[in-house]
Amino acid sequence: MSAPAAGPETLGSLSDEPDINDPNSKQAKEISGKSPMQIALGRLRKDKIAVTCAIIVLFFVLVAIFADLIAKAFGVSLDTVTACEVLECNFANPGVGYPKTGPPFHPFDPEHPLGLAPRTGADNLAHWVYGCRTSLLIAGTATVIASVTGIVVGLVAGFAGGVVDRILSFIIDFFLTIPFLLAALTISPIIIDRFGTSDSYETVQIVSLIAILSLFTWMSVARLIRGEVLSLREREFIHAARVLGMPTRRILFKELLPNLTAPIVISVSLMLPAFVAAEAGLAFLGIGVTGSASWGQTISNAVPYWSNYAAFLWQPLLGVVALVLALNLLGDAVRDAFDPKTRR
Amino acid sequence: MRRTKAAAALATSAALVTLAACGGGGGNDDETGSGSSGEGFQDASETIAKDAERQGPAPDVEGASAGGTITVYLPDDPGPEDLDPTNGWSVTGNSIQQALTHRSLTQYSRDNETGEMILVPDLATDLGSPNEDFTEWTFTIRDDATWEDGKPITAEEVAWGIERSLDSEAFPSGPGTEYSTHYFLDADKYKGPYTDKGKDYKGITFDEDARTVTIKMSMPFPDMDYWGAFMAMGPAPLGKVSDPPEYGRSPLSTGPYKVESFRPSEELVLVKNDAWTAESDPARHQYADKWIFKFAADPTQTDELMLSGNTESQTALSTGITSENYAKFNQDLGERLVQQSAQCVSTWAPDYTKTSKEVRKALAYAYPYESVWQASGEVPGVTRVPANSIMPPGMSGKSDYQVDGEQITFQPEKAKEILAEAGEEGYEIHMAYNTGSPTVEAAQKQIEKGLTDSGFKVTSYPVPIETSLYTIWTDPDNKINKKLNLRGVNWCSDWPSGSTMLPALLRTGATYNTAFFSEESIDAKMDEIGTMPLEEQPAAWGALDEEIATDYYPIIPTAFRNDLFAFGEKIGNPTGDGALGAPNYKDLYVAQ
Repeated sequence: MSAPAAGPETLGSLSDEPDINDPNSKQAKEISGKSPMQIALGRLRKDKIAVTCAIIVLFFVLVAIFADLIAKAFGVSLDTVTACEVLECNFANPGVGYPKTGPPFHPFDPEHPLGLAPRTGADNLAHWVYGCRTSLLIAGTATVIASVTGIVVGLVAGFAGGVVDRILSFIIDFFLTIPFLLAALTISPIIIDRFGTSDSYETVQIVSLIAILSLFTWMSVARLIRGEVLSLREREFIHAARVLGMPTRRILFKELLPNLTAPIVISVSLMLPAFVAAEAGLAFLGIGVTGSASWGQTISNAVPYWSNYAAFLWQPLLGVVALVLALNLLGDAVRDAFDPKTRR
Repeated sequence: MRRTKAAAALATSAALVTLAACGGGGGNDDETGSGSSGEGFQDASETIAKDAERQGPAPDVEGASAGGTITVYLPDDPGPEDLDPTNGWSVTGNSIQQALTHRSLTQYSRDNETGEMILVPDLATDLGSPNEDFTEWTFTIRDDATWEDGKPITAEEVAWGIERSLDSEAFPSGPGTEYSTHYFLDADKYKGPYTDKGKDYKGITFDEDARTVTIKMSMPFPDMDYWGAFMAMGPAPLGKVSDPPEYGRSPLSTGPYKVESFRPSEELVLVKNDAWTAESDPARHQYADKWIFKFAADPTQTDELMLSGNTESQTALSTGITSENYAKFNQDLGERLVQQSAQCVSTWAPDYTKTSKEVRKALAYAYPYESVWQASGEVPGVTRVPANSIMPPGMSGKSDYQVDGEQITFQPEKAKEILAEAGEEGYEIHMAYNTGSPTVEAAQKQIEKGLTDSGFKVTSYPVPIETSLYTIWTDPDNKINKKLNLRGVNWCSDWPSGSTMLPALLRTGATYNTAFFSEESIDAKMDEIGTMPLEEQPAAWGALDEEIATDYYPIIPTAFRNDLFAFGEKIGNPTGDGALGAPNYKDLYVAQ
């Protein structure tokens, strides 16, 4: 029996496995069955930076998912406390305006592991944990919505061509011309005015933020996908599928889409950290999430304290920086892994 | 005089601005004469003395030298919208213009020995001569005062400036809307020179030869000399030049400085007015070459700058500091951190037509005083102290009554009891608050917590911070306002008399009577006090204050207020102006 010609020769460089000549052995089957996705994952697994970043991202995801449990375990909550019960309100005492326990003027307080916020007496740990949830919830949902929209529009525009393409391209260009920050600044007061008094104000805020973020970012995905589709649709395998009489839907999703995995994964991996940063940035400007915990909001509150109570500022800042950095590096690694031209 | 910024009204927020003008009352100094602010809240001094004889030039400040530029940072304070003297009723605008650019009939001068403010003549040669029952006042206008273009100020121009203050349409936010239109003769029929164009007004007359201006009143107005210290009671150029709103952009100056440039909410630059002579002015100086006012400065940056002690900060001063840096300022600046009392009171105004007295009492116990101050960036005990009455400390006649026997503090349990006794458990409170400022939002959270802990249910209506809460509270047709049953006002006295506090807040139909309090007997008593002999009036106001609180308890005084000013190392004579609750701009200089 002869070994498949493509086997060890092309995959050898990607695999540390010893050369196997017996195609019926377990290893040989695994190797021969690898899809581009599996190849990429295999590369990722060997990338130390990618693994570290993945673990960091996983940590944040877990914190976000189990925010309630974590807060409960530490005995902290987002509830408003009467400020003067936990803060020093007597101007004659040192540290007026700062917490009575914990940093910056007192030793570690196990009841509030990350300390308390000045002015309000809010617990920093609870705000950090729930801020992480807000951040990932918004970034994650916005990414999914933006990429799905972008992919569908890009596929249709690229594949259909003609009038459809022109219309869709116009819509893409139209959205690209709207300045994102200006739109966010304009919409925020409208939302407050319309929903400010309703009980679901916080939900409305989050939903509108997701909507704003995804509304102004799907275009780049759409353009990318459209370009890829334009080059792919003239390839032989698509022509063959057409000649065989495959329905368009099937061509789009079964033939084209799998070939677009790489650009999609890459754009998603770049979008996520951008959204995390944008969420924090908008909250810092006071036009993002203000009703519930948010890192950006905490950072904005903490800026005046940078010299007197630096820990207050560092906590949310560290959260944003670590998450964005990990997501970005992971995104880089994913792109490298999916790029067949990369040499490792 | 005036309200302070609305967000502040509810939250008594510090960072927010005093839109209000003058208070009366004394210096920043406590008994020992120390200007530093380490000793907690200091009451304004008892009364403002008057000195009708004072003539120019003003005595030199010890060690003062000429030259230099003084930069004034006003953290979070947008400053005046225009510079028209007739429209100026904010503490910020009034204190700057009154001290540096615009002269009026009378003015305040700080006695640098005692720290007391003294009412002295300005454009008038004395403090005016009233007739026997204070229904007619005559002021003689000095002949050596000039406009910035060198032309002498005539009696006609002063009369014209005063007449402008009657026009509530042209100057809706001017102090004339409260005083001129209430006290001046026939002010109910004459709507002002712009609204009632061409109509003849007999209330204000002038005699150019004798250089006198005579104002007739519709009722006794013994406080006209204090009212004369408003820049609205000063001259305006005749004719089209002074038409509003154009005149407000670059008014002609009469004081030691003139306007070089003005960008609202950003910057005001004043330079020396060479036409002004020291001999003509009993209280102002012209030490610095230039003044730069930076409105709406960033509080954190301003703090950093003032604490840095660098060259830029040495000739600068700040009209506010953030509470987180209070300890540092106190330690680093010492005497140069000046605590200035303002005759101001912050109040909560439950809707009189919707709430019962028991509910209002419960509200008073449900307000988490110190926590709200803390959350809004005040230093409890220094810039805010518990209040017992509507009349602020230092106002003569202020009664030290306690409506419940002792100072009302945050006692949620007691509030609950009162509500239960009244059968009003779970009473629903509807209040508005500003969103967009973390401090105001934090303070609102504290309030909501206090109310909820006390057994109230709270519905709050967020309003973007660009919209002042006063706009909503004072507009009877506002949709949100109709739903509210809890509002508030921060009020400062215009001069040290109960007549600038109680009527403005509690007279039926008064603009800032946001409680909609209305009792005929009280209205009648307010008018009656004005007719009493002068020396009995302060006590009568104090008694009325107590009577209203005891019988109706319509508004809840939540705090008396103090300001903190930080002066740079090279600013000479770092003091505050107790009459206006502002830095003492008239006497500042750059040490060489």
